[in-house]
Amino acid sequence: MINQHINYKEIDNIVVLHAENYINKMEGENLEKVCDAFLAKRTYKFVIDFSGTDIINSIGISILIGIIEKIKEKKGLVLFSGLKKVNHDIFDMVGLSKHIPLLKTEEEAVNRMKSGQ
Amino acid sequence: MMEKDPTVERFLFNLNTLGELGEEICSPKDFNSVIKSALYMVMGSFFASKGIIFKYDPLQKIFFPVVSKGIDNMAGITLRLSDEAIGAFVGYNKPLDLKGSSPMLSYFSPVRTEFAKFGARIVVFLIVGNELIGALSINDKFSGEGYTDYDFQLLSIMSQHLSYSLHNHSLLVKLMHKYTENKELYENLRQAYYNTIHSFAAAIDAKDSYTKDHSHRVSAYCSALAREMGWAEEDIEGIRVAGLLHDIGKLAVDKTIINKSSPLTKFELGELYSHPVVGYEILSKIKFPWESIPMMTRNHHEKVDGNGYPDKLKKSEIPIGARMMSLVDAFDAMTTNRPYRSRRSFAEAINELKNHCNEQFDTDIAHTFITAVRKEVLELNSPSIILHLHELLDITAIDKLLEHFPKT
Repeated sequence: MINQHINYKEIDNIVVLHAENYINKMEGENLEKVCDAFLAKRTYKFVIDFSGTDIINSIGISILIGIIEKIKEKKGLVLFSGLKKVNHDIFDMVGLSKHIPLLKTEEEAVNRMKSGQ
Repeated sequence: MMEKDPTVERFLFNLNTLGELGEEICSPKDFNSVIKSALYMVMGSFFASKGIIFKYDPLQKIFFPVVSKGIDNMAGITLRLSDEAIGAFVGYNKPLDLKGSSPMLSYFSPVRTEFAKFGARIVVFLIVGNELIGALSINDKFSGEGYTDYDFQLLSIMSQHLSYSLHNHSLLVKLMHKYTENKELYENLRQAYYNTIHSFAAAIDAKDSYTKDHSHRVSAYCSALAREMGWAEEDIEGIRVAGLLHDIGKLAVDKTIINKSSPLTKFELGELYSHPVVGYEILSKIKFPWESIPMMTRNHHEKVDGNGYPDKLKKSEIPIGARMMSLVDAFDAMTTNRPYRSRRSFAEAINELKNHCNEQFDTDIAHTFITAVRKEVLELNSPSIILHLHELLDITAIDKLLEHFPKT
């Protein structure tokens, strides 16, 4: 069953997840569970939108890295969108921005995923 | 090559993580949750995707995983290092770069292959004082950057937090183990204690073939009465033990006197009447958890009008436990067969108690005793009194017995 604590929608075969305000252990694990559930259903394209996220702590970073690894293992695709500056800086620092395209909006991310770029 | 200083963003991010790590480790959450969060924080701080925390068992001299992330099938894996290697790492007490050139790596060679399977890049041994507590390993940074001196310093600080958390958990586990051991010992001692008291009660009752199990019944009646009177469990246990031992002084009375069916001579009566005092002298030398036991024994033949023995105490001068014991002792004597007469019915015995209220017995206690019997008849839930009466009791008859009760 898909975790009810995370807002998500499916557009074609793309899952768009809306991350919560604070990505800590609980929220991070909720995100991970939803991704696991979709991966188990053979859905491999994800957009994670952080426009509602103000803070991501080290646990959240660790979980996000884990999610990326799992999606990559399945040869899937993941894009991030809507990052506020503070979180963009953290993703740059961690090196996530080198591996995962960071798009300004969810729509841009979905369109890019659809176009297969 | 000069290393770059950490950016302000990185520094603040790490500072925040250290604060969260300290808070997590001091939180009252369960150990598994704390240690998992701690590993995630370490991994998040170094952008690692794989990490493990091992605990060291000094008895078996093995490391076993307590939490991992990004690594499958860790269950059942144990790692072993030589005493020499352990000693060397305890002295070294710094993160070890498995891709580095430290001479310490030679001590690590027996487990290097295993750690390679986990993708380990950095290993840090968790130490408190000179005691090895466990180990932590993380893989390469997700960013692809190398580990810097700043990273090593940060990892050392985080490892210290982890070491204390693991150490505290080990102490707690040891304490729990000792507690369980002591609890079992206490239970065994308690059982031995009760077995001894029951043996005494059996020895007391064996002096008189007609009073077999008398002490056990008095004990059961006393505890039921005490419960009805609202006593605390601890005190109920005390009067239960007192009931078992109340006639212990009879051990010193000649068996022929106890079993004599014809009237006793003055000397014989004196002997028999000495048993509460003898019992008191025996029991007052024993350190019971319940201090009132010796006096309950001494005064269980006192009467509320002051005509009892040995101290001729009146009413509330008689300890409450002794007043209770006096009543149930007489009740049991009346409801069991004796050499000189057959047992009386419950109603006959209660009427006899009522007739002697304010003379021999405490009225309130007599009333409470009948109420306790009434409850047992109504509820039939683990009965302690009616179980021994061998007659069917009628609730209407009991209610009638409770009517017109003498005033205190």
